[in-house]
Amino acid sequence: MTEAIIQALQMLLAGDPTLWDIVGVSFRVSLVALTISLVPGLAIAALLAFARFPGRRLAVSLFNAMLSIPAVVVGLTFYLLLSRHGPLGEWRLLFTQTAMVAGQVALSLPILVAMIHTALQELDPRAWETTRTLGAGALRATLILLREVRFALLAAVIAAFGRIIAEVGSAMMLGGNILGYTRNITTAIALETSKGAYAQGIALGLVLLLLSFSLNAGLHWLQGRSRLQPEYLA
Amino acid sequence: MSPLRLRQLDLSLPERHLLQDLSLDLHGGLCTLLTGANGAGKSTLLRIVAGLTPANRLALPDLGGSTPRGAARRLRGLVTYIHQHPFMFRGPVRDNLLLALPWSLGYRARARRVDEALEWAELTHLRRNDAGGLSGGERQRLSLARAWLRGSPYLLLDEPTSNLDTASRERLRALLQVLLEKGHGLMIATHDPTHFRFAGCAHLHLADGRLRLAAPAGKDDETQGACA
Ligand SMILES: Nc1ncnc2c1ncn2[C@@H]1O[C@H](COP(=O)(O)OP(=O)(O)OP(=O)(O)O)[C@@H](O)[C@H]1O
Ligand SMILES: [Mg+2]
Repeated sequence: MTEAIIQALQMLLAGDPTLWDIVGVSFRVSLVALTISLVPGLAIAALLAFARFPGRRLAVSLFNAMLSIPAVVVGLTFYLLLSRHGPLGEWRLLFTQTAMVAGQVALSLPILVAMIHTALQELDPRAWETTRTLGAGALRATLILLREVRFALLAAVIAAFGRIIAEVGSAMMLGGNILGYTRNITTAIALETSKGAYAQGIALGLVLLLLSFSLNAGLHWLQGRSRLQPEYLA
Repeated sequence: MSPLRLRQLDLSLPERHLLQDLSLDLHGGLCTLLTGANGAGKSTLLRIVAGLTPANRLALPDLGGSTPRGAARRLRGLVTYIHQHPFMFRGPVRDNLLLALPWSLGYRARARRVDEALEWAELTHLRRNDAGGLSGGERQRLSLARAWLRGSPYLLLDEPTSNLDTASRERLRALLQVLLEKGHGLMIATHDPTHFRFAGCAHLHLADGRLRLAAPAGKDDETQGACA
């Protein structure tokens, strides 16, 4: 066991190419998914916070409910859609990075929507009124308010990234753990360790752990910042 | 300039008929004072006139806007409302002013106008300070500078002097005087109407959902409210 840990550290420090390839896949897929879900996430959150339309409350609870969908169920859903005989089977996307990205978009979007929506809701109503009375149209007003909640916004992005970089279920089902292509940190740990690749598993686990810790620390700091309203500092 | 005329302004709350079929004219270059007991509906009336809260009914004979929401949209194009406690956006004083100007102006022109506004409101020395750290008087001046930049023909102020000391009140009064001379129409909700004795001030008193023309100078006691 100690031997495996020492070997893991050696792999990390020596820059083992396979290892860092796997880490690269994780980052690439998750960053692309996060980027794709960011703009729709902001737009949906702003609509839910400011627009008045029938079914708005239902939509809010729907996104909140989506927060708790397990990654493996998201994976299963997209698997059924993308599998050869599924409705989107002709796209031939199963076991590609694209499919992994799709699954992670579905996982990060509800987090972004829920957290940003909450931040906008908690904003002082005078903020919206001030922008409107100073002549901002709906779009400009929304951008000003998103800027106002920028710490909460960054916190939402970090939380979403933290969830998708660490999820296994969807990446496993949609990526298929193909070395050099769709094998990422979590699928490598889950599937390769059982084949005896302990050192690699430990090394990747350490990378993920370090990442989670730093994301969490960042999140904690940001949430502290976002609660410090300037009003209370005065 | 033709006045801003509002007719049939009506608002019912679940428990009260708060504003009952009011008529109101605002004139450029003139000031309208609005008094009334706590809870009489002064703030609500100002917010409706500013187009921030839709009324149940509201006609704008000169502007159209057939639905209350349509009317509110028209009003937002003409009126700026200043909260009793103005909201400060996170960040420096300067940024709080920049957002009152349209992007279409271009950054340089906006920066120049902001400098002018800072000077006008005597805030230049605070331009880099965090807006959240400003004092009550400074906040009031900043919100006035924002409104000045926005340049709406009509400005509504909700109890602007409620927590200002004498010096700050005087400063505010001087700024409002400049706005009047430049042709802006003002409407000020206040519990201290004697402080805003500008030339040609109308004084309206809101009670029981109705507006009455209040007695002129010397009789501003809130309990009076002589009929016109
Ligand atoms: N959206 C709303 N829903 C329910 N009640 C409201 C709403 N807006 C205002 N009110 C009520 O209308 C009444 C008038 O409030 P408003 O703030 O306009 O009074 P005001 O004259 O400005 O009082 P003050 O002098 O204390 O500022 C209050 O009783 C308030 O609770
Ligand atoms: Mg009030």
